[in-house]
Amino acid sequence: MSPYHIFRTLRIVAGFFVVGCLVAPLLYAVWLSFSPDSFLTPPERDWSVRWYQAFATDSRWSMALSRSLMVGLACAVLSVLAGAMLAYGMERYLFRGKGTLGILVLLPMCIPPAVLGMGLLPLFYAVGLWGSLLGLVLGHAMMCLPIVFLIVRSKLRQMNPDHEMAARGLGATPSQVVGRIIIPLWGSALVVGAAAAFAVSFNESMVTLFLATPTTETLPAMIWPQLRYSPSPLVAVASVISVIIALGVASGLGGIVKLVGAKSRNKPG
Amino acid sequence: MNPRPYLLAGPAATLLIGLLVCPLLLVIRVSFYQPANGRGFFTPGTWTLANHSALMDAHGLGLVGYTIAFGTMIAVVVVMVSFPLALFLRSLHSSLLRFAIAGITLPKFASVLVILFGLQQLLGDTGPVNRMLLTWGIVSDPLRMMRGLFGALIGEVFLILPYAVILLFVQVLEMDPILESSARGLGASRWQVFRRITLPLSMPGLFLAGQLGLVWGMGAFLGPLLLGSPENTTLSVEIQRQAFEYGRWPRSAALSVQLILAIGICLAALTFLHNKVSGRPLGGDR
Repeated sequence: MSPYHIFRTLRIVAGFFVVGCLVAPLLYAVWLSFSPDSFLTPPERDWSVRWYQAFATDSRWSMALSRSLMVGLACAVLSVLAGAMLAYGMERYLFRGKGTLGILVLLPMCIPPAVLGMGLLPLFYAVGLWGSLLGLVLGHAMMCLPIVFLIVRSKLRQMNPDHEMAARGLGATPSQVVGRIIIPLWGSALVVGAAAAFAVSFNESMVTLFLATPTTETLPAMIWPQLRYSPSPLVAVASVISVIIALGVASGLGGIVKLVGAKSRNKPG
Repeated sequence: MNPRPYLLAGPAATLLIGLLVCPLLLVIRVSFYQPANGRGFFTPGTWTLANHSALMDAHGLGLVGYTIAFGTMIAVVVVMVSFPLALFLRSLHSSLLRFAIAGITLPKFASVLVILFGLQQLLGDTGPVNRMLLTWGIVSDPLRMMRGLFGALIGEVFLILPYAVILLFVQVLEMDPILESSARGLGASRWQVFRRITLPLSMPGLFLAGQLGLVWGMGAFLGPLLLGSPENTTLSVEIQRQAFEYGRWPRSAALSVQLILAIGICLAALTFLHNKVSGRPLGGDR
């Protein structure tokens, strides 16, 4: 073997070692979730699903799960609507305040979540959103806005604006342009944005913690005290279930992208 | 005036102003209130500088210093690890690449809490990593990796790294591979190619990854809280502690203002550094 081959093999081994390290905590949490007893030792011979049963039978956990799902889906819809409209307006029009808005929309990424939670709690308390799921949805949608905006904008930049102009010139109404041009051509970016927003909201724990009340207890808010004070395999189970749901929703949305893509390819033109 | 762009931008602008600008202004105002006596978050109608001046003592300054140092360390580690990893990804062929990308993005579908839980268990005093090191005789006592700076650092790096790798991977993919191979053909060594071609062309991405690491590292909360030591913490942890454990909302708000200021100053310093090094302003001609 020449030195170059050795170098290349070493590089592949080292690279996959790092990738392996990145996945290791998640895989270890999955392994722990099958523990037969309440100690946090991974099962070697006797795997057990007793913690899964405990999760399924406790109504607090299932309530938290359904709340997380609802908040995640609502946040995805809201942030995609607002983010896509903003991206379209910013890309296709010149208007006053555009520059300020361009900075403002990226700001949620730069503000530490602790500060956001710190500001949102008294605000929600004052306007009566405290302790409601709507507050959580709005907060998450604001946090997801930059992600959706960036995804849709990069798609818009690849697209030819002449398609819309041509359709308008040929007599299409604005709603026809949206239905026949924008949705088929940009649908994939909207769905990717929605999947990202769902994953962020579903797993978001910081703002959720600041705003948590017993009536808005979502999955991260349930995991949190357990993790901090008495880690048990139940935490691992909750984690595994949330990963599976996030992956399921994302791949389901990915399936829609493929379907939309296949459909728009089959159309003439 | 065409109303259409305003209608398009309306919902997003409403969300941003209502849930980002207003809370931030509120935080600034709260930081000047006197603490609550009894009910509520603060005493309405009061103005005081006590919350801000209370942070100017040695403890407060230490907190700010630790936060800045923590963010800087995160930025350095994230860039140092993600850049080679992005170059490694570029060298892979399709099936291996898909496998590696899946491995890097998978943790991002899990809650941050899960990743930190896994790390806590893996690297704990009786965790598998320490057991392995003990059996192999590499160490005689378990390495204390959790409940300290190392734990906080590694936790945050695990959370930020996937984003930085993907960002840099996109950046190095945009590079024309002809440039590197022709430099090789003209007799440049591997190191020279890296130093003169790959590194300068990746600079915008590296800078962005550094920015990301700095901002998110300085705002870090969960890593330092769950895996770090209780004595040395970042401002974010102290914000939560002051607000929820001591109920000192104005103090917590003052800390928030300081954190935002510190982040802004550090970002400006990084941009200045970038412009100095590259000799041209950021976002100029590309």
